[in-house]
Amino acid sequence: MREIDARGLRCPQPIIELGKVISEVAPGDHITLLSDDPATEPDLSAWSRMTGNTFEKVETAKFLVTKLR
Amino acid sequence: MVRVTGNFQSESPLHPKAFEVLHAAFDNGWADPAKLSESSAKARALKNNALETIASALNVRVESLVPVSPTSLGYFLGIQGLAMSSKTLIHGATDRKDVFAIAAHNPHHVMQSALDGKLIPTPSDAKNSILALQVANAETGVVQECDAIIAATKSELIFLDATTSGIRLPRGNQFTTALFDSKSWYGPSEIAFLIVKDAAHWSNPLPHLNAAHPNFDVSLPLLLASAVALENFSSEVIAANLEAHKFNSQIRNAFSALPDVDIAGELDSSLPHMLSASFLNCNGEELLRAIQSDGYSVDSGSACTADNLQPSHVLAAMGVLTHGNIRITLHPGTTQSEVDGLISSVARNVEKQRS
Repeated sequence: MREIDARGLRCPQPIIELGKVISEVAPGDHITLLSDDPATEPDLSAWSRMTGNTFEKVETAKFLVTKLR
Repeated sequence: MVRVTGNFQSESPLHPKAFEVLHAAFDNGWADPAKLSESSAKARALKNNALETIASALNVRVESLVPVSPTSLGYFLGIQGLAMSSKTLIHGATDRKDVFAIAAHNPHHVMQSALDGKLIPTPSDAKNSILALQVANAETGVVQECDAIIAATKSELIFLDATTSGIRLPRGNQFTTALFDSKSWYGPSEIAFLIVKDAAHWSNPLPHLNAAHPNFDVSLPLLLASAVALENFSSEVIAANLEAHKFNSQIRNAFSALPDVDIAGELDSSLPHMLSASFLNCNGEELLRAIQSDGYSVDSGSACTADNLQPSHVLAAMGVLTHGNIRITLHPGTTQSEVDGLISSVARNVEKQRS
């Protein structure tokens, strides 16, 4: 599973990094995103809706993203 | 330095008629209206005249009109003045921070927002709740279905925040206190008007000795300027709304044609002169600066443009993208060429940032 360590990066950088990696993995694959930026959680909700993927918050500053398409 | 040709920020210059009157107001309205001298009598007459004008434009009784300065104090007076103790304050997740600050010191319940910005009402214990309801959102312009929310929450005491909607929308009649902002009709900033519909349900929550002498009164010259601005904007508002709706629709259509854009709320359920759009993978601050260097000033709700580095709580509550956000306000006098210029500047800079 791919992991993106975006800790210390400010918005929109964590989502941009996620966007790069998501285009390289296959549908069904998971990506772990580490991000401590306060905008990441609300932006992951919007990003999931806009791109048709899903995510869950595993713990503080750690998100599990699933590519659906 | 590029000259700003189009102002699309929420802030705007004073109404030209209000600007004209300010000079005369400082000339005639410098005395304390409460004193007995001849100049005070003149000032008192000016003040009463201004209050009559404002009450008539807002369609309220002049006795119910309480001028307040600064605007943020109006939230405290309007909500806390409704005998808050032991009552639960119900308010929206997209309300202004002033409401959150009051809620933090009282029992409270927050109504969540749907993706379109409409609040999801929560039934309450009517006798023990106060509803603080924002008529239209200050960042997105999304208008609430006030009657439905009031019916669902059943609160008997209602504070309406009309600071953004002003006279651009017909005012509902179900409220106990309501707050208007002079800025919404292009009057001077930091002057607000609290409407206290029934004096029996409200008392001044600030420390005071004499209820007849409010300790939050406004500057008389600024009050006069606000009255003149309101009187003039009242006759212009229908045309201003139509014009703004036309431009807003053009901007929304143009932005929607760009890839990966998230626009907060629908035009038909929003104030016609406001819109908030977020562009995926763009940096709000860089976008704002790039658009500004093309001569157009806009606002942004992105975290990188905020002093506390927190994203807009309004966008977050709606579930709208918070990064790459720009906020556009359409003022009277905005031209088609400014709107066209803004649209092409945004499109070009979004594409440039993404490449």
